[in-house]
This record gives sequence, C-alpha cells and structure tokens, in this order.
Amino acid sequence: MRIVPLLLLICAWQAAASFGVLPKTLLPSFFDVAAQLGAHVRSGEIFGHTAASFARAGAGCGIAVAAGVALGLIMARMRAVERAMEPILLMIYPVPKPAMIPLFMIWLGIGDFSKVAVIALACLLPVVVATFNGARSVDDMLIWSARARGTSEARLLWRVVLPSALPQIAAGVRTAIAIAIIVLVSSEFISAEKGLGYLIFSYGGVGADDAMLAIVIWLAALGYFLDRGYLAGLRRVMRWHAFAH
Amino acid sequence: MASCLDLRAVVMRYGAGPGAVNALESIDLAVEDHEFVTIVGPSGCGKSTLLYLVGGFLRPTAGSLQLRGKEIAGPGPDRGIVFQRYSLFPWLTVRGNIGYGLDEQGMAKAERDRIVDEYVQLVHLEGFEERYPRELSGGMQQRVALAQTLACEPDILLMDEPFGALDAQTRRILQDEVRRIWRRDTKTVLFVTHDVEEAVALGTRIVVMSARPGRIKEMFVRGFDVGDGEEFEADPAFAELKLRIWRSVKEEVEAARA
Ligand SMILES: Nc1ncnc2c1ncn2[C@@H]1O[C@H](COP(=O)(O)OP(=O)(O)OP(=O)(O)O)[C@@H](O)[C@H]1O
Ligand SMILES: [Mg+2]
Repeated sequence: MRIVPLLLLICAWQAAASFGVLPKTLLPSFFDVAAQLGAHVRSGEIFGHTAASFARAGAGCGIAVAAGVALGLIMARMRAVERAMEPILLMIYPVPKPAMIPLFMIWLGIGDFSKVAVIALACLLPVVVATFNGARSVDDMLIWSARARGTSEARLLWRVVLPSALPQIAAGVRTAIAIAIIVLVSSEFISAEKGLGYLIFSYGGVGADDAMLAIVIWLAALGYFLDRGYLAGLRRVMRWHAFAH
Repeated sequence: MASCLDLRAVVMRYGAGPGAVNALESIDLAVEDHEFVTIVGPSGCGKSTLLYLVGGFLRPTAGSLQLRGKEIAGPGPDRGIVFQRYSLFPWLTVRGNIGYGLDEQGMAKAERDRIVDEYVQLVHLEGFEERYPRELSGGMQQRVALAQTLACEPDILLMDEPFGALDAQTRRILQDEVRRIWRRDTKTVLFVTHDVEEAVALGTRIVVMSARPGRIKEMFVRGFDVGDGEEFEADPAFAELKLRIWRSVKEEVEAARA
C-alpha cells in the first residue's frame, strides 16, 4: 500500500516524458534514468564513489556526534559553558554550511579534511541542541533517586543524565544523518575526484541528465534505507523506550 | 542517647519575596530506632517536603535536622527513599534497577546478583527480571522501587505515599509486605500517606499534620500490636483510633479548603 503513491508518481513522470509534455533535455524519461542506474551498478563504477562519499559523511557525522554529545552534556550541567557557547551556536545555526566550503578549503586544503570538517560542523548543531534539551529535561526525581543510592555528583552524568537524554540524542542524530548527506553532495561539487556529489556534478556539467538523475535516485534510495536501518537499530538497542511511531 | 532522627524547629519556604510558599513551619519531631512513624495530613501540607528534607535533597530555610546526632548535609545511602511517583530508571531492567545501589557501592557481580535475586523474590517479581519499567504495571513498578530501596539496606526508610496510586488489593498486599519487612529487619520507617487506615495499620506512631503551612498538630501512639494477619481490623481499639485520627485530619482538610 505504501508503495502505491510512489509508483503513481513514477508513472506520471514517465507519461510526461513519453508524451513530450516537457522536452527530453528538461525531463529525461524514467526508463532512460533507470537504464543508466542499471549500467552504473552493473559496471560496479558506482560502488567506489559510494564508498568514498559515505566514508566522508560517516567521518563527519561521527565526529559531530562525539563532540556534540559531549558539548551538549557539559552545557546542560554547567551554566557558564552554556552562556559562553549559546551565542556562538545560535550564530552558526542559520549559516548555510556549504557556503563555508571555500573557506574550509583554504584552511584545511582541498582534500578530504575540509569536506569532513564542513559535514561535521553542519551535523554538530542538531546533536548539541538535542543533547542539551535531553539533558536539561532530566527528571529531578531520577537525579535524587540516584543520589540517595550512592551515586556521586560526578557520576550522575554517566549514570543518569546521559541515559535519560538518549531518546532525544537519537532523534538529533537522525537529523544529523540527513544533513550529512545533503552537505556531503555540496562539498563534493568542488574539487573532488571521487564521490557521488562529484558524479552528479560532472554528469550535470555535460548535460547527461539521465545519468545525473540516476545518481540522485541512487543517493535518495541509500538515504532512505539508511534512515530505516537506523530506526530499526534504535528500536532494538533502546527497547526500554516507547518510541512514538 | 541521641534519637535516630531529630528535627528541631524546621522551617521550609519555597522561593522568596511575595510569591514565596511557606511549606513547613516549626516542625519538631524525634524518631527513635525501630519506630514506624506514619504521617498524615491534607494535600499540600508539606509531607513530601518533610521527607525531601530528611532525604537531604533540600536544605531547610531554618532549623536543624540531625541523623544520629549529625546534621544532614545531603543525600546518602543510609536513607532509602521511595518517591510518590514511580521513579525507576527507564533504561534499566528490573534486575538493573534493583541492583543499582549495589553497583554504585562497587559490589562484586556474584554477590550483587545473589542479593538482587533475593529481593526479586521478596517482592514476587520472579520471571520479570529482564523486563523494563514501561513493560510493568503500576503495582509492579512500585514493587521494584521498594526492592531497589531495600536492597541498599538503608538504616532509615522514607516512603512518600508509596501506594497512593495503586488499586485496593495491591495496596493491601504491599502494606502487609512492608510491615513484614519492617518486623523482620526492624528498620526505622518514616511513611507518608493520606489514608488514615493505612497510617494506623502500619504506624507504631501516627503524626497528624496541619493544613499549610505544615505543623505537627497531634501525635497518636498505637498502643496495641497489629500482628501479621488481618485480625486487628476487627479490634475495636483499631476502629476507635482510626476514628479519632480521622476526626483530627478532617478538621485540617476542611481548614485547607476554606
Ligand atoms: N518546588 C516547589 N516550589 C514551590 N513550591 C513548592 C515546591 N514544592 C512544593 N511546593 C509547595 O509546598 C507545599 C507543600 O508541598 P508538598 O509537596 O510537600 O505537599 P504534600 O503534603 O506532599 O502534598 P500531597 O499530599 O498532595 O503530595 C505545597 O503548597 C506546594 O505547592
Ligand atoms: Mg506529596
């Protein structure tokens, strides 16, 4: 049932292309795009690019999660850090991160470092905000309960604050994964020799719209399954939590 | 010899300025070892506040709270508390929750598991060891909370309306269990309730608090033993004491409403 609207959309696309509603240069046909995708998968060419891209996205997102959780927890427990960090974070939040890529390249070179850094910066904010909110809303009774059972002030962070914040952190990480993929592609538009963003950009540049769309669809499908996989993994690992959906 | 617990002229005010709430006003209470003191009073009279002060979670605005002659400076495993709302750790299983305090003491795993098993049996939760709190009923959660508190072997048990949200049968069973545990280990218990019958069925001494700001209005010593069964309920002395206490509480409930 869930797949029906998607199939209808594809049918409409193919019909529009076949009946020439839009010229082929503006809208390649779905079958051409599918054929391109099939060719890329069969030749195996796409896998190397996929691996390069996901290594960058994974590294950037991983750094953001580690740093973001640590920063969010510290901000939630220490007023001084919160006051110092809040204006900085709020200023960074609305900045379009891909616009920072040229600057990062000057600082960190045109290789993987600058790409990973931009991805990490873009992913950091949703993780920090989610961790901070989660850690701030810890039930006082749980803190008291832990203190009355011998947990020291220092261990509270590990024993109570972090686990209570986990559901919110997990939601923040989910947003971060989506952002990582978006920023990844922009970061690969400039100065990459490998990667899905690079492929999309080079096909686009030579007008090979069907090949370009094939890569976009591949990326969208990977993103979708990654998200499904992440949610399924969370449900298993966090069986103690009642997820909303 | 110093009392187990000695409260003198304890005042507790929440907030400051015109919005301040006087929760407790001049509480004097001495509790001896092995006493089971129940506290009854109208809603909002400061019963929870009193337990939080003894637990060391809050500091009094004025007055002193001493535990075996030493001023209470903060929470500690010598005072176990069961909160009014279930306050289990949702990310720990029944086993993890009951063993929480033992883990924090750094107890070896084998010893810890043995003690956890003992308390799982005590509160009749065999077969639910690996369940999480959200998979349990309210009564089961409260039994876990009780076991979690008892497993730390505190000197003093603080219980804040622990059975307030439970159905009548579960409540009766748990009351009997708490009385049995108290008899077995003769711990000192401070037990808050709004249920006069529960107060008399459990307490060796019953404290009635006034409407807010909370003061100690009257104390009743239960002069007869209730034993382990249900026979005491047919005892005219039980009914008579219950009635006297209810009349005292009722005045305060009406005062709180006025
Ligand atoms: N954190 C707080 N800040 C301000 N006022 C508070 C706070 N906690 C309690 N109070 C007030 O202090 C008074 C006593 O509260 P407390 O929770 O101790 O009452 P209680 O006797 O336990 O009531 P109940 O039987 O309904 O649980 C109440 O009037 C309440 O509004
Ligand atoms: Mg209360």
